[in-house]
Amino acid sequence: MMGLASYLIISLILFVVGLVIILSRKNIVAILLGIELVLNAAALNFVAYSRYVTNNLDGHVFSLFIIAIAAAESAIGLAIVIRFFQIKETIHIDEATQLRN
Amino acid sequence: MEYTVGNIAPIFLAPVIAFVINAFFGRKLPRQGDWLATLSIFISFIFSARIFGDFVFGTFATDHFIHKTFTWFDLSHGANIWKVNMGVYIDNMTAIMLLMVSGVAFLIHLFSTWYMDHDEKHGRFFTFLPLFTSAMLGMVMSDNLFALFCFWEVMGFCSYSLIGIYVKKEAAGDASLKAFMTTRIGDVFLLLGIVALWMVLGSVAYVDIYAAIAEGKFAGQTVIGISLATFTALCIFLGAMGKSAQFPLHVWLPDAMMGPTPGSALIHAATMVTAGVWVSLRMYPLMVLGDITWFIAVIGAITAFGAATVAMVQTDIKAVLAYSTLSQLGYMIIGVGVGSYNAAFMHVITHAVFKACLFLSAGSIIHTVHEQEMPKLGGLRKYMPYTHFAMMACTLAIAGIPFFSGFVSKDRILGDALYFGFMSGQNPLLAIVPILGFAGAGLTAFYMFRMMFLTFYGENRMGHHDAHGEDHHGDHHHGHEIHHEHLDARQNVPLLILAIFTLGFWFAGSLTGQGIVKVFGEKTEWFKVLVEAPKVERFVNHPREAWGSTDTRVKTELTKARYDHQTGYAGPNPDEHKIHTAHVIGAIASIIIAALGVLIAFLMYIKKSIKPLATRFPGYTEVLRNKYYFDNFYIDVLIKKGLLGFNRFLSWFDMGIFDRYAVDGAAAVNRVLFKASKWFDNVVVDAVGVDGTGVAVNLFNLVLRIIQSGKIQFYFVMLVVVLASYIWTVNI
Repeated sequence: MMGLASYLIISLILFVVGLVIILSRKNIVAILLGIELVLNAAALNFVAYSRYVTNNLDGHVFSLFIIAIAAAESAIGLAIVIRFFQIKETIHIDEATQLRN
Repeated sequence: MEYTVGNIAPIFLAPVIAFVINAFFGRKLPRQGDWLATLSIFISFIFSARIFGDFVFGTFATDHFIHKTFTWFDLSHGANIWKVNMGVYIDNMTAIMLLMVSGVAFLIHLFSTWYMDHDEKHGRFFTFLPLFTSAMLGMVMSDNLFALFCFWEVMGFCSYSLIGIYVKKEAAGDASLKAFMTTRIGDVFLLLGIVALWMVLGSVAYVDIYAAIAEGKFAGQTVIGISLATFTALCIFLGAMGKSAQFPLHVWLPDAMMGPTPGSALIHAATMVTAGVWVSLRMYPLMVLGDITWFIAVIGAITAFGAATVAMVQTDIKAVLAYSTLSQLGYMIIGVGVGSYNAAFMHVITHAVFKACLFLSAGSIIHTVHEQEMPKLGGLRKYMPYTHFAMMACTLAIAGIPFFSGFVSKDRILGDALYFGFMSGQNPLLAIVPILGFAGAGLTAFYMFRMMFLTFYGENRMGHHDAHGEDHHGDHHHGHEIHHEHLDARQNVPLLILAIFTLGFWFAGSLTGQGIVKVFGEKTEWFKVLVEAPKVERFVNHPREAWGSTDTRVKTELTKARYDHQTGYAGPNPDEHKIHTAHVIGAIASIIIAALGVLIAFLMYIKKSIKPLATRFPGYTEVLRNKYYFDNFYIDVLIKKGLLGFNRFLSWFDMGIFDRYAVDGAAAVNRVLFKASKWFDNVVVDAVGVDGTGVAVNLFNLVLRIIQSGKIQFYFVMLVVVLASYIWTVNI
């Protein structure tokens, strides 16, 4: 039976996996991927609630916004990573402790 | 006729402009600007004469007045009205006074150009003379007591400067200080009275005061326990006493002759001393309301008689005139006190004319023979015929001989005094007023003719110096013939003009002043018709004219006196018949008394059949020579004993109490306070405040440095932990 709970469980799994990736990996690109997972978990939540609770298109519109913002955010994030790599020649997150070089 | 600011203001402004020009550029002008001063007074005279003509010859109704005001400054806010108005107030009295002041001052200026010629203080003299005159003119025109007070003080300053104009003479400096300080005592009271009026009425304009009296606003008001009307009337009269040199404050006037003689003429005749009488007349309704007229009359009587006795033994020609001024001012004040409003004001005018002439004549003598001690003069009649003629006319006037102006005005005052003292049902003790008044009139005739006989008659004593007589003036006239006087436009013409106006009919319309021999017919009793005590009811809700407005009135004929009393008695309980009787008795008595005075003077100094006073009553003469020891009393007792003792007490209080306890005590307290604050500064501020802050910041840093690692995942862990704990807390 595909009810609201199974969507929420999938969403929860995605969120926790994303969070663990953000907190544990030292690779900046991996952290960006983790952020994507968390955002997708949120989008999935919106759609699920929209379908089963409010029964209108609000959640869908929200998830479209989330996808657009996630795309922009990862573009900026990757640009920062490239600049960071050019300066430090590494993408290890613990090297990024200073706001200046 | 139209009256605007443009043709009223020049009366006051022309002399002021002359003063400013002479003060700053006088030395560069030819003759140091004396012509400018004289011209400016002449301009005032022209404008005054126009006003006088309109008011007296009937363009205006007899009770008309011009009152123009403007707001000087306005500090009102909301419902609190606090406005100070200034303005001009011209009624019949003002018109007469303006003509008298400007006319007499013009003649004095003209005379001064001769008298002060080649004098080292020529320029300075002609700087202060127009300022003095302008202050008097402004005072006469002003519509409120505050403006009057300002001009009053300007006159005080000018008299100070004129009396002490010979700055190198120590006596002149002392005399000027004395005049200034003595009048200042009166001025303090005047200011007090003005402030009290302002406090209660919110205005010190004459019309507002009159209206307040009519509306009964004074009823029930008190100041420090006495009624407001009495308090203010007394204060204003004390101010008048200082300025008009009445009995306890008279000491400055005789010394005021230290200045040049024309300056004395201006002080003693047209300006300054008449200011006190003027303010008493203006505030006459207040004096009546305050019920102090009996006090005024007594003060006037004491002054009139006392000054006349002192004048009998003076040897300096100017001193005689100075004491005669005091005495005549006493008569004016008697006039105010006994309710003889009309005659008191007439005496101001007649006295101004003959006293100016007397002083100018004395100046003419002094400047010609360089001597002012009468025992060293004598027989000048042959050398100075014009001066003799003018001075004789004025002496006849002041002595109260019929047909002359002094008789007219003084006799009316004395007649009213007689009524006041004996017939009006007052306190019988007040009979002292007419008694002293008549006695003083006899003495006046005596001492004035003594002066005339000693100066102009007998043999010439010039050059014969007595045992201890030193020649102060070098020897250029020692034993020389005196030059015969030729008619000089600046020396004699002013005297002769003034002498013409010593005749009584100019003022009274009839030769005797009693309406017996009329010269010009019915209309000529202009003085009696035009001058009367203010009728206060007329001033209730009287509209004001704006400063810039034009004043137009239709011509009205001078009607027969609205003022039908034979005498002009304006005091309480007038009784026509009794007043008439009093005046007939008074007129006869004063003629007899005056004739007696002249006769005694004649027997004593021409026939020499009576021994002079000095040999007859040596003790009393000594008292008189010392002016009743008033100067000694003021200096030795009041100042040296009273004031100095008080000063010593104050100095002891200052050194002993204030220095020892207040100042030293404050130092000790300060020292303790200083120690406490030093401890506070070192311990609390420095150690705890300043250093403590540093330590606290350091400690806080240690903690912050650990958290602020810059590792973004650590921050994120913190974020998650905080959020999780938040959700956990909320759920529980």
